[in-house]
Amino acid sequence: MSFSRALKKDLVGYAFIAPWLLGFAVFTLGPFLSSVYLSFTHYNIVSSPRWIGAANYALMLRDATFWRSLWLTFEYALVAVPLGIVCGVALALLLNASVRGVGVFRTIFFVPSIVPMVATTVVFIWLLNPQIGLVNRFLAVFGIVGPAWLKQPTWTFWSLVMMSLWSVGGSMVVYLAGLKDIPTYLYEAARLDGANAWQRLRYVTLPMLSPVIFFNLVMGIISAFQYFTQPYMLLQQKAPEESTRFFAVYLFERAWRYLDMGYASAMAWVLFAIVVVVTGLLFRTQKRWVHYGS
Amino acid sequence: MALVVSGLVWLGMRAPSGSAPASHATDSRHAPARVQVRFWHMWTAEWKVVVDRIVERFNASQSTYEVVALSVPPEGAESKLLLAAVGGDPPDVMAQWKNVIPTWAKNGLLTPLDDLMSRQDRETFARDAYPVVKRLGQYQGRLYGLAIGVNTWACYYRVDHLREIGVEPKALPTSLEGLVELGKRLNRFDERGNLTRLGFLPQWFQTYSVLFGGGFYDEAKQQLTLDTPQNLRALSYLFEQRRILGNDRVTRFDSAQNAGFGLEWPFVTGSVSMTVDGQWRVEQLAKYAPTLEYGVVPVPPPLGGKALGGFANGNYMLVPHGAKHAAGAWEFIRFWSGLADPQVAAELYTWGGWLPALRGVASAPAFESYLRHFPQFRSFVSLLPSENQQTLPPVPFQTFLLDRITAADEAAMRGVLSPREALERLEREVSEERARQRSLGADD
Repeated sequence: MSFSRALKKDLVGYAFIAPWLLGFAVFTLGPFLSSVYLSFTHYNIVSSPRWIGAANYALMLRDATFWRSLWLTFEYALVAVPLGIVCGVALALLLNASVRGVGVFRTIFFVPSIVPMVATTVVFIWLLNPQIGLVNRFLAVFGIVGPAWLKQPTWTFWSLVMMSLWSVGGSMVVYLAGLKDIPTYLYEAARLDGANAWQRLRYVTLPMLSPVIFFNLVMGIISAFQYFTQPYMLLQQKAPEESTRFFAVYLFERAWRYLDMGYASAMAWVLFAIVVVVTGLLFRTQKRWVHYGS
Repeated sequence: MALVVSGLVWLGMRAPSGSAPASHATDSRHAPARVQVRFWHMWTAEWKVVVDRIVERFNASQSTYEVVALSVPPEGAESKLLLAAVGGDPPDVMAQWKNVIPTWAKNGLLTPLDDLMSRQDRETFARDAYPVVKRLGQYQGRLYGLAIGVNTWACYYRVDHLREIGVEPKALPTSLEGLVELGKRLNRFDERGNLTRLGFLPQWFQTYSVLFGGGFYDEAKQQLTLDTPQNLRALSYLFEQRRILGNDRVTRFDSAQNAGFGLEWPFVTGSVSMTVDGQWRVEQLAKYAPTLEYGVVPVPPPLGGKALGGFANGNYMLVPHGAKHAAGAWEFIRFWSGLADPQVAAELYTWGGWLPALRGVASAPAFESYLRHFPQFRSFVSLLPSENQQTLPPVPFQTFLLDRITAADEAAMRGVLSPREALERLEREVSEERARQRSLGADD
């Protein structure tokens, strides 16, 4: 193929994807790059950005709310992501069994993950109502006085973790696909070697599922650092700010409530850097525990 | 082929949308052609109907301007205006009720209304506007937002609940302490000790800080007053009443109450006997609970406190910088507020059940007739001339300040911090924010 023909072919390809490229350049790449510049400015949206060097980054060092919100986000990521993986894998294992009507059960567990987050949050606000909520009424059957879930800082945090598990069906489907991909001869060989159920899970299923677990771990960590909708909604409902002002919520407040877009941009880049570092660390650990069958 | 597809997509994106708002200066829908004044507001549902009626009335009175109203969802209204202003296409006039004036004014987003006022307008406003109205839309001595409706808070009481314990409404206590004691007699509990009816519990630091002689701003010195003995007394009192009733018990009770519109308002359902709320409830009660016997009195001050005190805010009109038809916008504001004709405006206020900003409107026959129909409304009107009605300090970090005041209130009420610690934290946070603004080259 001559060079000009190859070029022409490439151009045709680019022309086909031109609408997407244009949209990406204008609505994603442009704002992405301009936020780098804005993070070094004092910018209130209305006036032109004013260059202030690294002042926004320096301010973060002594911004107590910044550190509190960052720590809260770390805490959430450390608790909710592993818990989500454990529940997702456990559900997938249960729903991998060949029983009658398993498709119905899979659907039931998957459906919550496609309910919009806002709707889920509203439902949970009522479920966790301390006086008339179903959760506390259920606990009352056993003589337990349930807490004021969304009004006390400690319980609000755990309520958010609980809410995150509600939509674990999304990752469950991925685990299920991973389970289906494990060759049956591995289990047959394990059985012949005398492995019991736990040993088959420990030495066959989990290693073979580890690439999928790794994928969900990375995606879960990224999502956790960007956690916004649920805590923001709870904050609007007068939930304790100590347990709902996550990093993304504080970033949003700085940007749109206090018109401090420069600082918010700097926060966004710090968040980006943290996510890159954490993801990089996870990738470094994968050699030790992620098993690629090939 | 690819180019054809791309071209079609591009053409599709370029095609004018049928629902796009017209931005032409004149409109040919009506004869004679008039200058269109674009008006954004945040009212929805039944309130939007009232606003549309007011706009219609204005348009019918005009041969020069025609107001075109657009209801913007309140959640996104601020960002929408900001982006429109940055994009050079703001509306000509906007109705707001959020705490944005000092911030927006400082950043050059708003047109000072003094510049649009005639001399006569200025004189009428200075003479006729209630004190709290003059405080509402100010920043650095200039008027940026003219209130077209004031919100004040007073104490609603249920007559049936009072009679249940043998108290006649006319014998209501005249001190906050007395009202709290009366409230205790109205409380009801279930067998597990849960609160099933709340008699009266003072809540909301903003209002009670003023009643206790505090507040958040010294107008004479133009200084914030946050961590003061009066504010500490108010916050401590609120916490103490909550503690006596049982913090956890109140939290649970509050959580079970719907924020409440119309029939769901706990006062209507009977879950609350006496409560402090705004004047808009009068219309709601007339509509949704017409047979409910109730009364309204100004919140009584504590011993040694300030009578007719409290917190007020409002719905105000502002003209964004860069508005193409600022004169038309001002004409609309004059019409609605009553600066143009208080007699005409008085009727508009009765449609929405709003508290007027001008004395002339409040004393107009149409509004007097409204007060005869809704006598409970008089208590709210009686608060308007009071110098003890305060509003948020006119500082450019007003939203931040309100957030932190609310956070201090909530932290103290939840028992996370003692009232003293909550006020100390408030003072510290605000100082840090000011220092931060200064370090970025933005003064107060």
